[in-house]
Amino acid sequence: MGIILGVLEQGLIFGIMALGVYITYKILDFPDLTVDGSFPLGAAMSALLITHGVNPYLTLLISFAAGVLAGICTGLIHVKLKVRDLLSGIIMMTALYTINMVVAGKANVPLFSKETIFDNSFINNIFTGEMANFKTLIIVLILALACKFLLDAYLKTKSGFLLRAAGDNDVLVTSLAKDKGLVKIVGLAIANGLVALGGSVMAQQQRYFDISMGTGTIVIGLASVIIGISLLRGLTFLRSTTTVLIGSILYKACVAIALAKFPPTYMKLITAVLFLIILVISMQLKKKVKTND
Amino acid sequence: MKKKMLAVILSMTMAAALLGGCGNEQKESSAAKEPAATEQPAPQADDPQAAKEPEEAGDNASSEENKPASGLVEGDFTIGISQFAQHGSLDNCREGFLTGLAEEGFIEGENLTVEYQNAEADMGIVNQIPQGFVSNKVDLICAIATPAAQSAYNAAMNSGIPVIYTAVNDPVGAELAKEDGMPVGEVTGTSDKLPVDAQLKMIRELLPDAKKIGIMYTTSEVNSESTIAEYEAAVGQYGFELVTTGINTTADAPLAADNLLSKVDCLNNLTDNTVVSALPTILDKANTQKIPVFGSEVEQVKIGCLASEGIDYYQLGIKTGKMAAQVLKGEKKASEIKMETITGSELYLNTKVADDLGISLPDDVKSRASETFTEIQMAE
Amino acid sequence: MIELKQIHKYYNPGTINEMCLFDNFDLTVRDGEFVSVVGSNGSGKTSLLNIICGSIRIERGQILMNGRDITREKEYKRMSHIGRVYQNPAMGTCPTMTILENMSLADNKGKLYLLGKGTDKKRKEYYRDQLSLLNLGLEDKLDVKVGSLSGGQRQAMALLMSTMTPIEFLILDEHTAALDPKTADTIMELTDKIVKEKNLTTIMVTHNLRFAVDYGNRLLMMHQGASVLDKSGSEKDRTQVDEILKLFNEISIECGN
Repeated sequence: MGIILGVLEQGLIFGIMALGVYITYKILDFPDLTVDGSFPLGAAMSALLITHGVNPYLTLLISFAAGVLAGICTGLIHVKLKVRDLLSGIIMMTALYTINMVVAGKANVPLFSKETIFDNSFINNIFTGEMANFKTLIIVLILALACKFLLDAYLKTKSGFLLRAAGDNDVLVTSLAKDKGLVKIVGLAIANGLVALGGSVMAQQQRYFDISMGTGTIVIGLASVIIGISLLRGLTFLRSTTTVLIGSILYKACVAIALAKFPPTYMKLITAVLFLIILVISMQLKKKVKTND
Repeated sequence: MKKKMLAVILSMTMAAALLGGCGNEQKESSAAKEPAATEQPAPQADDPQAAKEPEEAGDNASSEENKPASGLVEGDFTIGISQFAQHGSLDNCREGFLTGLAEEGFIEGENLTVEYQNAEADMGIVNQIPQGFVSNKVDLICAIATPAAQSAYNAAMNSGIPVIYTAVNDPVGAELAKEDGMPVGEVTGTSDKLPVDAQLKMIRELLPDAKKIGIMYTTSEVNSESTIAEYEAAVGQYGFELVTTGINTTADAPLAADNLLSKVDCLNNLTDNTVVSALPTILDKANTQKIPVFGSEVEQVKIGCLASEGIDYYQLGIKTGKMAAQVLKGEKKASEIKMETITGSELYLNTKVADDLGISLPDDVKSRASETFTEIQMAE
Repeated sequence: MIELKQIHKYYNPGTINEMCLFDNFDLTVRDGEFVSVVGSNGSGKTSLLNIICGSIRIERGQILMNGRDITREKEYKRMSHIGRVYQNPAMGTCPTMTILENMSLADNKGKLYLLGKGTDKKRKEYYRDQLSLLNLGLEDKLDVKVGSLSGGQRQAMALLMSTMTPIEFLILDEHTAALDPKTADTIMELTDKIVKEKNLTTIMVTHNLRFAVDYGNRLLMMHQGASVLDKSGSEKDRTQVDEILKLFNEISIECGN
């Protein structure tokens, strides 16, 4: 039971981040490596603000804003300085390492003695007794679903339509007399905002910030998006954003299985193999759907 | 096109994970099997663990047989070990921890089940490991290195499962202990704070004319930062000046080494994980310029550092294991045990390196050494 | 009115592959003109459209739109007065969005794209009416993704979408070339109807000589970056396909193909 709880918690926290990756990778078709820097940026921001006594819920919003700024920078580097997309992300990711260090003040900032969004007198009064075990999951679930529904709603606005058009067919965006570069910047901003928000939640859940917590974020994000979208393609009643959240949970489940059933040395290999199996299964499913047509 | 490129990156990451897995395994097995080349003859013992750490047998009577003095403790115990990364010192810690438990009557396979997990330095996974332990309702979690300790404490906080950590450089800074060393909750353990004064004293003895000491460290490792601060405060006393260079990844090490070597009379190495990984490169560069490199623990001296006044991670592990035993036996709660720092240090020398550099080692230093190596072990 | 003055356009300038396409090229398209542009491959037809729209830069010269110099203006800014339909039907629509969403997107051209609702229920009937004019049955498929439509259906939508909001100029870039003959006829009739209804100044590049002769009120034949034939008004009305074909063949033989 506990392990399932853990997988759900971790899956949903990284799911918030994966929603950001979904925007760049799936909607904008922009391979954005900034996330390896913007995820810990959100965490660093929260660590800094929480140690200075800022309300932890407020830090979520500020972290989101910090991520937005990081995304805008990547966008400006790409659009205005005409640097290739992959490279723009790498440049920002590298720069953010230092920025994160400066923001947090040191490489590891513990938050054990501080109030977080998961642990404060208000929350602790609501969740008492048995319910206390589900406290983290419920809060994370609310946050992840809020992000999902807000993103869904955004994608249905005029601005959201334009964003989808930019990834689909950027010629059309120009035909509509809109600057496709600007649309890309907006997309990157929202995406990195979500990633930083995920980082903020992560830091508050694990109760410390560590400079290296961003390493490999893009891999987890991409894996979640790809697992979610390709495995659950057949379930058309699910929105893509929902499948991304489920994909993130599945990815964390793979890690949990690898951890629980195999010797520690093989953990990464097993995770990789499980990931591969999921992808192959989803491709088989796709074939079946096609032959059924 | 872009997606294709991403797919390539992704598969490269997976391939790296694959290679990493194999490499680490190799390292682990060779560390466990290869006997160190020492001047002291290794005493023959039936217990494989005693054979592995020969110096142990000599001065510690109780650990000689690794048999508990008072017999096995009644009951079945399960502990989870969460180790942050594959690393010589951390591995020694883990082995020492199990030895310490064994000495107190908890023997793996008899009355003790050990669930060992290694996060391979992945911050996402270091969180998931203790969650698994908590859901399996282990009796105690042993966490090795700072992020593992913080995650374990966070996961176990509301479950009542005690956490015993080791190899945490600054437990107070990591908010695992209060200023007076008492725990902040059901969490206690040992710190691997380096004996900075002893090390500086030793360097002064070996290099009477040296003026500048260089230290390379990783900006992301909080342990290194706090140790450097200690060095800053202490070097003046011994007539040294400190020059530091920060790096981010092992890839930065060669350039940083060139830069640093041009400014200093000797290098001093911390327990910084990234720098330790790049140590062979650094040693190679230092040797061509005949600049001695000092280590911070025995493994580094084995692979070519001149000397180190370091702590014995195996001993640190034993000490930690005994703390864990107190908690498992119910003698004390973790929250009642003060965090411990190892006092005293062990001197390790490498005479082969000294000969290569043309440094003559004073006799009193030689006799003080707890272990002297006569050859340079090839680093994997 | 669109005026091109002394346009110079080189491809790969400064390299061994340097190729001069336009050298002192002039063209004036007056308001209300429907210009059909024909010519062999590489004669500069599509480059002409790209220069007008700002998709490619020119080395020298001036482009005026209604007397205003737009030579340095960005492509997307020029497009607020221009509607453009491409040869590839996929260029004018978004495949992963539904017909309704595509129509709404186009309907908002010229306004801001902010956080208002993407689709306006009140406009649904209007979209239906517009789509029913196409006689393709699209009015009953508002929630179908455009990606699953045929090329002809998509091109019809692209045409509708590019002329939905008030524009002055319509640029048609071989917009019937990828379609089967029957669909091409349908699209061409529709184009003519829209152009007349909205009184759009139109430039149509086509390889279909019959369309070039039958539609529009001015005919231009391009060859190696220059116009070799320019007929308008009654002169154009008298022009026959055979005549154009003959001239076209003469030029082609000259070029060796």
